[in-house]
Amino acid sequence: MAAIDFHALGQVIWVSLVAGVGVSVLFSVVIFGADKAAGARREGDDSQALAYGALAVAAMVIFSVAVVVGVIVMLRKA
Amino acid sequence: MSDLVLWIVVATAIAFDFTNGFHDTANAVATSISTRAMPPRVAVGLAAVLNFVGAFLSLAVAATIAKGIVQADLITPSIVFAGLVGAIAWNLATWYFGLPASSSHALIGGVVGSAFVAAGPDAVLGGGIVEKVVVPALVAPVLALVVSAIAISLAYRIVGRRHPGPVSRGFRLGQIISGSLFSLSHGTNDAQKTMGIMFLALVANGNLSPSDDVPTWVVLSAATAIALGTYVGGWRIIRTMGSRIIKMDPAQGFAAQGVGAAVILSASHAGFPLSTTHVMSGAIMGAGAAKRLSAVRWGVAGNIAVAWVLTLPAAAAVGGLTYAIVWLFGADEAGPVIVAALLLVALTAAFARRLAAGRTLTAEG
Repeated sequence: MAAIDFHALGQVIWVSLVAGVGVSVLFSVVIFGADKAAGARREGDDSQALAYGALAVAAMVIFSVAVVVGVIVMLRKA
Repeated sequence: MSDLVLWIVVATAIAFDFTNGFHDTANAVATSISTRAMPPRVAVGLAAVLNFVGAFLSLAVAATIAKGIVQADLITPSIVFAGLVGAIAWNLATWYFGLPASSSHALIGGVVGSAFVAAGPDAVLGGGIVEKVVVPALVAPVLALVVSAIAISLAYRIVGRRHPGPVSRGFRLGQIISGSLFSLSHGTNDAQKTMGIMFLALVANGNLSPSDDVPTWVVLSAATAIALGTYVGGWRIIRTMGSRIIKMDPAQGFAAQGVGAAVILSASHAGFPLSTTHVMSGAIMGAGAAKRLSAVRWGVAGNIAVAWVLTLPAAAAVGGLTYAIVWLFGADEAGPVIVAALLLVALTAAFARRLAAGRTLTAEG
């Protein structure tokens, strides 16, 4: 009976945790920033609109890069 | 061994891949459809394209199926054929009753059962099955459930006080990305299982050696079959996955799909042939239970769990029985030809019934 490969299993667990939670959190920040920016714009607060808009854009960039890099790394031959 | 049997095995493997595609469409698109992130036809079409692309991205799981489950040098094309028929029979039965059981475990169970009956316990790599199939099968749905619950809890914390309209619209857009990722991961993990089976048959028939690479035509045919199967779709199972387990909001759909993709892609990297169905069921339940435990319809979840536990042994039993039938008619050539003809008749009848049921559903909906 072969031993269970705890290293590979552990890798699957932590990668799933970091990637699954990370992607959801980052996209939530995108929505949070975009909604706050829209609210600030409606109230005429341009600086706050800019700050929250920048937060949404930055989160979207990190989210996109994380998804693309994650897929490439995960599918590279072990 | 005749090449005729080999080509029957290849055709049966492609048929299995097709059934895998339509059986598992729900995993990729049910959440997008139930939250209205995408119209059903668009969701199914996108899933089909991404399943095709995903099939080309990795071969680690194919290697596990080809070399890690059964003793390749004791396997004949007839054994592989009987295992495939067992898997298809189990897939059709669970599809008919609307249960999202695992196509992957049906395939592995079918081949293991057939190999056990044909060549005895020495043909089955028990350690490999425990390491690569049983342990990941136990860990993956629980992992998806826990990670999905954490992810949706944090998402609600971040957007919970924002306006519901923009939040829902945002997550619906996000579901196009998360659903696409899930389809890609499904194509990567599931199409490789068929590639592994075809590779095993080619080695058993003497066309390839175990150290060879998977031929391009094998990859291409598996990718095409799973994509076509996905497009045809499993509407009956879509209803179970999309709304019968929990009623989802777009944030839950996004979290479930994102977590499902993360679990399957990381498992593909490790060469674990996971059940995408189990992973998605776990992720959906986690997303529902984090909001409130009563949101999950535990009766439906229980039926899914029963199918989850039964699939490996049931498919193994059907695979073993099929090999016995093949052997009765003649394992070298006559048996596979006769059983393949019977399978074709059964598949045609099942599809005719499905088309009729599909028309009824459309008329009702």
